[in-house]
Amino acid sequence: MDSFLAPNDYKSPLKPIWCPGCGDYGVLQALYRALSAVGRPPHEIAFISGIGCSSRIPGYTTAYGFNSVHGRALPIAQGVKLANPDLLVVVAGGDGDGFSIGGGHVPHAIRRNVDLTYLVMDNQVYGLTKGQLSPTSPRGLKTVTSPMGSLEQPINPLLTVLAYGAGFVAQATPADMPGMTTLIEEALRYPGFSFVNIQSPCVTFGEEEQQLRAHKARMKPLSSLGHDPANQLAALDLARAYGTELYTGVFYRNPDPPPTYDALIRHRQAELQRGEPRPRARVLERYLQT
Amino acid sequence: MREDLVVGLAGSGGDGVVSAGESLLGAASSQGFYALMTKSFGSQIRGGESSCRVRLSTRKVLNPGGVLDVAVALNWEDFRRFGAELPVGPDTVLIHEAKAGPPPEDLTPPGQRPRETLAVPLAELAKTAAGTDRAKTSVVLGLISGWFGVPLEALDRGLQKKFSQKGEGLLEANRKALAAGLAHATQRPLATPRSLARPQAPSSKLLCDGNEMCASAAIFSGCQFFGGYPITPSTEVMQILSRELPRHGGVVLQAEDEISGVGASVGASFAGKKAMTATSGPGMSLKTEILGLASIAELPLVLLNVQRGGPSTGLPTKPEQADLLQAAFSAHGDVLRPVLAPTSVEDTFRLTVEAFNLAEKYQTPVVILSDQEIAQRKETVDPIDVSRFEVLERLRPTAEELARGYQRFADTPSGVSPLSHPGMKGGNYLAAGIEHDAKGAPTASGAVHAAMNAKRFRKLDPLQSRDDFFERQGDPDAPLALVSWGSSAGVAREAFGLARARGMRVKLLVPFLLYPVAEPVYREFFASVRRGLVLELSHQGQLYRVLRMYLDVPRDVTSFARSGAQPFRADEVLERLQGLAEAS
Amino acid sequence: MGPIAGFDFERMTLRDALDLAVLIEEEARDRYWEFAEQLATHDTPEVADFFSRMARIEERHRGELLERRRTMFGDAPSSVERRMVFDVEAPAYDDARAFMGVRQALETVLAAEVKAYAFFSEAVPRVKDPELKALFQELRDEEVHHQSLVKAELARCPEKADDSEAYADDPNAQ
Repeated sequence: MDSFLAPNDYKSPLKPIWCPGCGDYGVLQALYRALSAVGRPPHEIAFISGIGCSSRIPGYTTAYGFNSVHGRALPIAQGVKLANPDLLVVVAGGDGDGFSIGGGHVPHAIRRNVDLTYLVMDNQVYGLTKGQLSPTSPRGLKTVTSPMGSLEQPINPLLTVLAYGAGFVAQATPADMPGMTTLIEEALRYPGFSFVNIQSPCVTFGEEEQQLRAHKARMKPLSSLGHDPANQLAALDLARAYGTELYTGVFYRNPDPPPTYDALIRHRQAELQRGEPRPRARVLERYLQT
Repeated sequence: MREDLVVGLAGSGGDGVVSAGESLLGAASSQGFYALMTKSFGSQIRGGESSCRVRLSTRKVLNPGGVLDVAVALNWEDFRRFGAELPVGPDTVLIHEAKAGPPPEDLTPPGQRPRETLAVPLAELAKTAAGTDRAKTSVVLGLISGWFGVPLEALDRGLQKKFSQKGEGLLEANRKALAAGLAHATQRPLATPRSLARPQAPSSKLLCDGNEMCASAAIFSGCQFFGGYPITPSTEVMQILSRELPRHGGVVLQAEDEISGVGASVGASFAGKKAMTATSGPGMSLKTEILGLASIAELPLVLLNVQRGGPSTGLPTKPEQADLLQAAFSAHGDVLRPVLAPTSVEDTFRLTVEAFNLAEKYQTPVVILSDQEIAQRKETVDPIDVSRFEVLERLRPTAEELARGYQRFADTPSGVSPLSHPGMKGGNYLAAGIEHDAKGAPTASGAVHAAMNAKRFRKLDPLQSRDDFFERQGDPDAPLALVSWGSSAGVAREAFGLARARGMRVKLLVPFLLYPVAEPVYREFFASVRRGLVLELSHQGQLYRVLRMYLDVPRDVTSFARSGAQPFRADEVLERLQGLAEAS
Repeated sequence: MGPIAGFDFERMTLRDALDLAVLIEEEARDRYWEFAEQLATHDTPEVADFFSRMARIEERHRGELLERRRTMFGDAPSSVERRMVFDVEAPAYDDARAFMGVRQALETVLAAEVKAYAFFSEAVPRVKDPELKALFQELRDEEVHHQSLVKAELARCPEKADDSEAYADDPNAQ
């Protein structure tokens, strides 16, 4: 076993492009700490992201990173994990990357239940491209692509992910760093698809009422409400308040996690490979006509 | 005695026409014949019109053939729906269900009649012998045995294969029908006998289609991950691998869509495994963005595109060769990716192995451009000695290189930089779609971008001198040239043989590497050429266009191309060549 | 929820208190380093340098407290974890801004010192042990001292509001 890995062992020399004041700085620090707590060495971690400000995050860690294309981090990450199930696989992106262009991949990643952790930095806006509407923007929000106010109902990422059956769903904010650190660590440790929606405000294009100091005032830990994370129905009910309440903590943790897809595959491979090994050189024999 | 026989059968899906063809194919191959079978059908999932062509020969079969030697029509409506796919000519022996009445007038070109037209009471014979008129295709097999010399025992074994699982009674009944057909034929010899010669030294052969070959070669090459999505006509590759790959420790993921499938494959490649995906035209369009990602991230990937009629949904069950422009050029930015094209079921194995080798060696996506005909036709193949194929692995950093400070995208002289993967200590790097420097850090520097583009292109320079990706036949100084690729090359080879037999000075070029265009090879080939044809199945003549982009193609080398679903015939190519030879 | 999680003030020992104080300085130091890096990357060198200086100052405080801890308790294991400390003396993440001026930076530091002062003030009546009380009083008074230093620097700062935003270019889409 490797010796202790400090949070700074996960910090790469690359300087973030994020604006000073961005919530993602907090997320990054919490991630360093959570990774240190879990203790996997950087070379055994694969960190996959899409496109967006928050998707730059893999490059700021010393893990193997893959900053891929918009909306496709989840499929790529599943390929990584299935090719090498011993890796710790983390996926990150924003609300647009995950729920707009990437939305079609979310249900399948969840129902497949490959063991990975998906961190979404939700700021209700498209920051990298200068402030357009995002799928979690509240109705009526005025942005550069909704100058008269958005006419769309936002998607509810918590409800969506819960409804698709994810086994670990939590929400966090950098306004509560210790809490967020713990949640990320728990998500990393959860055996299966785990999801943390992180309300990480955009200091340049986000609304004033959505900045971190506002979070501090508004946030309500689910534990203070007496919520039992094993209760999926209660979790769904609480998740409906996304947009009005800022609940932090674990919405749902499956008390009896089912086997992960990668574990099932491993099991099946082991079964199939019992008995006579089939050398690749004889692969055409089945087609021989005698 | 004939060395070669082309049999075409048509009826309704419920008649078991294709099964009969398969029995014939199986019988022929077990007797040491070379054989090839294609199928064609209507758009219903079952019960539409159904047909097949089986070509048997004592020599290697190069293509499905042209005008039928033997045509079998169980009814005229279904037979006619296939039009030019089942051409009947003055040399054809036309066998038909007697009850269907005489052949329609327009079955043959005006002024031509089939050599013999034989009305056979198929349904009646079946009813009498087997107790049901459904056994009529077994009667047909008996007729073929009697009139054309296909050995009965072989056909009998085919029946066993088909019916033994379906109840003993059925097998017996169909055997009787087979015997009845044979008896009918024996009692009514053909006016012009045309029995098949027996193969001289019959040997065991493989019998499979292009998709099976590709899947097998992928396993052989050490592919460990397949991510894909069902699409006609490539789905079989995923199906075969989903059964076989886990036995070799690999994973097959039927993803939620085409993009996710190739995305997962790219992820697996990033994780250090040989990875592949398979699709057809529409899927390739969807996968384009991820292919660009793999190119800039310099990750190995094999993509099989089994071309079908396009554009868009096009003709899902018909072959066409119109995805070359997409395979080579479909990318934003400057991207160079190799495109390989098999010409037969046989060379699908070798070229799939080569595709994996190129992908791993040059850390790039490689497209295998097959087509519906090659992928789904059953072909006998002489056993392949796989030991002669080298299987290459990606260049990985040494322990020393990792200790010294590893740079994933170091600008090496060859352009290929050692590729690490998660799990490898000291090899940590950021793979990205964004432009990056030698360490992998994102950059927008023009100078670095230029150097990186140069690196990504330079690493493929050795492909310019890969002679082994080109088949050349004929007099190197011949002034008349025939160039072809993919399934059309099979027709070109036959036409070339016929042309040479007639004393024409002609040479043949079949490229297996379509892109990048190996300019030195083409320049040498075209040096002596005054006239010629580039034969391919697409409206635009896509290879011809690509060659014109990169080379000075001799002015009188022209494109002989047409839209898919109407494969070329050797005789029409020969005619064109003759015209060109006479003109000079 | 207060800035210290999972720790019982009533049961705190002197050793714990010193360890906590060290971590508080450490958190502040790290946050100032982060701000320094962020602002250096975002071309605000004057304030980047300022935050570097603040980080070094916090490191010095930390060093002094650590020395005391070592003298009194050697290398005895600590019961206090870094994750128990959150934004005690460290400025909040969203206090940084691109193009921020020195005045704004000083105000950020001042706010952090005021926060820390409030924390230590609250801690004083909650602890029973006289040595602990003395320690927290000392730390509280330190904050007063720091605040006066910062206020003095602020006084030397030009009075006008920071107008760097007005001169800066619009954000760039990537």
